[in-house]
Amino acid sequence: MVTSKNHLKSKEFTFFSMIYQKLMHQKPYKMILFLLSVLVHPFTYFIYWKRKHLNTYDQAFELRSQHYMENDLFAQWQQSFEQQEIAKSTFFKEAVSSSQIQQLANQLANRKLQQQVDQDLQKEGIQQLTYEQFFNQQLKNKRFVALTFLPAVLFYVVLILFANPFLQFIIERILQSFIVIVGVATLVFTILYLSPFDPARNLLGVEATPEQIANFNRIHGLDLPYLSQLWHSLSGLFTFDLGTSFAGKEDITHSIANKFPVTLEIAVLSLLMAVAIAIPVGIISAVRPNSYLDYTFMFIALIGLSIPSFWQGLIFILTFALKLQWFPATYNPQNWLSLIMPIIVLGTSITASIARMTRSSMLEVIHEDYIITAKAKGLNEFKVISKHAIRNAMIPIITVIGLLFGGMLGGASVTEKVFNISGIGSYIVDKQFIPDIPAILGGVVYIAITISIVNLLIDIMYAFFDPRIRSKMKKS
Amino acid sequence: MKNILHVKLLLKITQEYVNSHFTFVFSLLFSLLFLAYSYNFSTHSWRPVVLLFFVIYAITTAYVAFVNLRLKNDLAKFGEIQRSTRIFGYPLLLTVLSGNIFSTSFAFMLVAKRRTAEYTFAAYAFITQLFIIGIAALNLFKPYVTDTFLIAMGVFLVLALVYIVMTILCIKFVTPTEAPKWMLIPGILLLLASFTGNLFATLLGYSLIQKARQANPSSIEKWQKIWEKILRNTMAVFGLFFVILMFSLSVTSTWTFDYDFATENNYGALLQTPSLEYPLGTDNYGRDLFSRIVFGARISLIVGFFSTIIPALVGGALGAFSGYYGKTTDNVIMRSLDILYAIPGILLAIAIIAAFGANTVNLIIALSVGAIPTYARTMRANVMQLANYEFVESARALGASDAAIIFKHIVPNSLAPMIVKATLTIGGAVISTSSLSFLGLGIEPHIPEWGNILKVGSTYLETHSYVAIFPGLCIMLLVLSFNFLGDGLRDALDPKTN
Repeated sequence: MVTSKNHLKSKEFTFFSMIYQKLMHQKPYKMILFLLSVLVHPFTYFIYWKRKHLNTYDQAFELRSQHYMENDLFAQWQQSFEQQEIAKSTFFKEAVSSSQIQQLANQLANRKLQQQVDQDLQKEGIQQLTYEQFFNQQLKNKRFVALTFLPAVLFYVVLILFANPFLQFIIERILQSFIVIVGVATLVFTILYLSPFDPARNLLGVEATPEQIANFNRIHGLDLPYLSQLWHSLSGLFTFDLGTSFAGKEDITHSIANKFPVTLEIAVLSLLMAVAIAIPVGIISAVRPNSYLDYTFMFIALIGLSIPSFWQGLIFILTFALKLQWFPATYNPQNWLSLIMPIIVLGTSITASIARMTRSSMLEVIHEDYIITAKAKGLNEFKVISKHAIRNAMIPIITVIGLLFGGMLGGASVTEKVFNISGIGSYIVDKQFIPDIPAILGGVVYIAITISIVNLLIDIMYAFFDPRIRSKMKKS
Repeated sequence: MKNILHVKLLLKITQEYVNSHFTFVFSLLFSLLFLAYSYNFSTHSWRPVVLLFFVIYAITTAYVAFVNLRLKNDLAKFGEIQRSTRIFGYPLLLTVLSGNIFSTSFAFMLVAKRRTAEYTFAAYAFITQLFIIGIAALNLFKPYVTDTFLIAMGVFLVLALVYIVMTILCIKFVTPTEAPKWMLIPGILLLLASFTGNLFATLLGYSLIQKARQANPSSIEKWQKIWEKILRNTMAVFGLFFVILMFSLSVTSTWTFDYDFATENNYGALLQTPSLEYPLGTDNYGRDLFSRIVFGARISLIVGFFSTIIPALVGGALGAFSGYYGKTTDNVIMRSLDILYAIPGILLAIAIIAAFGANTVNLIIALSVGAIPTYARTMRANVMQLANYEFVESARALGASDAAIIFKHIVPNSLAPMIVKATLTIGGAVISTSSLSFLGLGIEPHIPEWGNILKVGSTYLETHSYVAIFPGLCIMLLVLSFNFLGDGLRDALDPKTN
């Protein structure tokens, strides 16, 4: 009973020190952990310093070296090193004086002695700790943890969170996305800030008095220095309060919130259509490579990739709206029929990309050994493809889908303009003539955020579903 | 049984047979298209010119089908193509007059038994030249032509003659490994001819000079091998052909096309339907659409080229440094490029243009900035792989500086994926250019550019749809060509398939 309890205790107490050891390998974590436990360090360093001066290590070292010296081992080493050096110099035909050789041999022997003694001492459990090692050892001490838990509570929270490799991965990935998003916002704001255009002049007209312009700039904060404008914009973006637009005095966050769902709806439906069409097409092409069907599909896919979406939209309007009158030419939220043409147009290029990607990914998988094994087992072709090939081929395809989704949200502006949809893309295009800085900034950054979140979710999904990534994470 | 398998395999690897199939399918498709278009459903009448084209294409299709059968017979019976069958290729050469590029290239392939890359270059240089003459000749129906028109046409005809002579000379004297010494002279002359933009002549000249000088045999073999692989891919060759045709057309249009037809308003000829004088009709200011589209090719190619080469250089350099030095350098460069990568290219372009105004230079910069991260990533992956090879280590052991190692040893070895990537993204750049122009954010509206023409066309979609249809077709064809060429290059250069 007692032993088992003890066992449990020791397990719990290596917990913190193990995670600590793992995290200290990476520089950024070293910094963060030090900062979080800054209140504890003066206290522990003082103890460390005191113990170091107890000198147990130095005494043991002295004793051991003397032991080697007395046993004549040191002289033997010295001799063998001397012979080595002489052999070397004769081989290279270098003229080296005997005193030099002796000096060198002495050095080498000394080094060997040091190593030997260090090793011996380590076997006996005596070693000189660095502060880091000392601190790490203290984390195994229950009393130390209890004492320092309150002053370094954040430090322990981080250690507990990072105990799980999945959790660590997710936290790291979220942080990374956050930094990228802040970077995106800063970049876009800087580009717009550097603009030589004067929104006040563009809006108020040429006849505006300097007072009017100064007033306009003051209202919208355009007279502030760069950093305070940047801070204002960044905090506005993350608190969803971007103020009012330069023209029309509308609440920007409100109008973006109104327009964003429209774009997102079309984009998601296009994506669904693309996946539904492209993956079967890609699989069929890969299963029968170089057949007529394969050539036809891939030719159509390449056309889909090469067709400019606005032209495709115009041709669709001309054929299906004006000539055949199957669908309405412009978008109308009440009529779901009006959604069909924009969805197809927006989804065409991504369908083509996914189909090509699926084909090449499947072709790669189909030639793997395990597929041959599956066939040799006597599985029929359908089972081999559906059970063994597709699951592995899907991994790169999903990444590509995530990346393409971003491109699609960006490209939506063109399609929206063709079909007269009041989505976020056409909103940005409409606002750029002034240029309405907060509106463009909001539009671009919110789209970038959406894309980052989608990619984040895909990455996290991988971590859970792909056994290879899972095992890699556990190993590290 | 074994024999049947053998024949099947032979059919598969015989390029002439595969190509005849291909030519048959495409000629059939085009004749069906012509048939569909020859009947006007709204007025219930036939279009005689289109019908004539249908007949010509239908005859070509039937002829190709016949040749196809003969080829199959030959291969089954004798295991190789007979001389008597090859002779059937000569009449097919005439189809170049109907503009059927598929059957023409098939004919050139069929008539020569031993084909070097030089032969193919010469044949395509000839076809390109004929197409350019044909397109420029449409200007004869205009009320007047440019002063240089006659001289230019004369030069083009001479060049076409030179190319056909070169084709014959290539069959007679050039082998896969060498060419006679006197080929140096035509080689240099051909390099001069590349001032007309006919890059097939440049390729031909370059490889003739290389062979005639009997330079490094390994580099000749490498060059020959790569081109053999590219030229085997029929679609890639057509892609290359169309790209070079467009390039040459935009170079020579300075001498054969009158810029005034494309930009000067002509209120006497507003929104005319296609006719001989205006082959593709006119727009709302009476400007000739045909000339506008020809001049538009120039802008598209220039913007496409620069917005590919700039990010390839910048991104390539960043990726090379990042991959070679690793650690902090890598982290700093790649993390900052991640920020660029998170914004969709076209949105970033819109933001940059919103800030700095819409004109050609800004457009090129805007499109370039967004493309930097992808090039950097490609280059970085390559360099990281190459930096571990022995030749890099030996260069370092010999005391080469970091810059010398990167630019002399690593970069040349990692160019192939970059070239493939660049070819595949030029198409995207062309689409982005016209998309932004269509939104009013690209090229200035008075310049004839395909997106600008389409923008006008979109307002007359219901009444004069041709204004929107033709420029769009051109964009699609150009992008399609770049994509086919890129696919072909990838298959030829990708070490995975080697």
